[in-house]
Amino acid sequence: MALLEPEFGLVFWMLLVFLLMLGILAKFAWPVILKSMESRAAFIEQGVTYTREAIERKKLAEQEAKSLIEEARKRQLELLQEAKKTSQEMVDEARQAALDEAQKVLDAAKLSVEQMKKEAESQLRREVGKLSLEIAEKVIRKDLDTDAAQREMVEKFLNDMEQVN
Amino acid sequence: MRIFFRYISLLAGILLLAAGTLRAGEEKTAFNPKELVFEHLENEYGWRIALPGGKHLAISLPVIVRSKKSGWHLFSSSRLTDGAGYQGFRIAPEGANAGKIVETDTDGLERRPLDLSVTKNVLAIVITAWVILLLLFPLVRWYKRDPLRAPKGFLGFLEKIIEMVYAEVIVPVLGKDARKFGPYLLTLFFFILCSNLLGLMVVFPGGANVTGNLSVTLALALCTFLVVNVSGSKKYWRDIFWPEVPSWLKFPVPLMPLIELFCALTKPFSLMIRLFANMLAGHLIMLVLVSLIFVFGAMGAAALGSSILFSVLFALFMGLLDVLICFIQAYVFMMLSTIFIALAREK
Repeated sequence: MALLEPEFGLVFWMLLVFLLMLGILAKFAWPVILKSMESRAAFIEQGVTYTREAIERKKLAEQEAKSLIEEARKRQLELLQEAKKTSQEMVDEARQAALDEAQKVLDAAKLSVEQMKKEAESQLRREVGKLSLEIAEKVIRKDLDTDAAQREMVEKFLNDMEQVN
Repeated sequence: MRIFFRYISLLAGILLLAAGTLRAGEEKTAFNPKELVFEHLENEYGWRIALPGGKHLAISLPVIVRSKKSGWHLFSSSRLTDGAGYQGFRIAPEGANAGKIVETDTDGLERRPLDLSVTKNVLAIVITAWVILLLLFPLVRWYKRDPLRAPKGFLGFLEKIIEMVYAEVIVPVLGKDARKFGPYLLTLFFFILCSNLLGLMVVFPGGANVTGNLSVTLALALCTFLVVNVSGSKKYWRDIFWPEVPSWLKFPVPLMPLIELFCALTKPFSLMIRLFANMLAGHLIMLVLVSLIFVFGAMGAAALGSSILFSVLFALFMGLLDVLICFIQAYVFMMLSTIFIALAREK
């Protein structure tokens, strides 16, 4: 069958045309096409890598900014609280100081009042003793032995009176 | 779907008309499907294009022959139409050399001269090569203008095909050898694909049975065979002539080397037969399905109508399948060539 017999002429022309075409394409077409395709693929791949890195970096920067803001806010809050505490402390301290001072003044006043009272008492006692002695002297007009024995007796009377009071 | 059926009915109508005109001239020439089919499948001198009304438009092609007694001859194929003789040459009507140019030798026997004629298939091959150049050079121009911009439209589609072949088959299989063998494999792929698809076209620039011709696939397989064996590594040759098997298989009778050598030859042989058989079968089945209309058409209107419906539907189905096969065969030829080269390059 003719279909199954290779024809020399056709094989010859086929090889000629095919090899000619291969020569032209291999010299002028395929290197340009393949190189461009590869360089574009590399370019795109690089672009993807860069973009991915940029996104990563942006995310990191955002995170950093967020943490910085957070920290600043925290610090602000802390400072505010501290200020509040300090002012409170200062107020408390001042109040305490004032109270202490007042107490001191009060104590001193009390002391002096006491002292004055005591002094007044003793003076009063002395006055009263003297007066009573003078009264007694005048009332009884009696010569008494010794001043000291009289004063002792008056003292005793006064003590009795105080105890009664 | 409705549009699809409308097309089918339109097509059937046209075929019915064609069958009618054929039946009108039936008394003169009976329809011979075998002759018609093989005439379409085989190569011919000159290219006859059928026109409506039973006429032909013949493209004359140069006949180049070298006779042993009278040397080189160059003349137009139109001089040999209808069995005419010219300068002692004629086309043998029958016998072993049927359809080929023969001359009567001095001893009175018919012999074939050395025939380098530009036949229908040679013209189809040249057309295919032109189509490929016209497809690829716009892409080259685009890349030269701006290599980093992706081509759009048809060029983008073309680039996708190249990428599918190069980046997904050649590079993964061949690795760093891809740049060296890529041009050959891509040219091979595009040549087979374009020939196959042009072969599916019914009108002039296509329609020739190029890749369904054994000579063409032989030439292609020969190219792959040469590329594989020229670029074979030391290991490749050692595996053929001194494979790693028990030595009694290699000496004194070189059994394994013979088998390996046979293997090296069967690889391109299988490439050749696979492409040839697939494409031939595609053409054959379409021609047979269309011929059925004319065969059954002789049996009356009912048989004609049903055979038209049946044949057109099947021919459409087979045609669509053939488009797929055209692509698959080009892909398979290229892929197997790549694998054979990669196997021969193994260190």
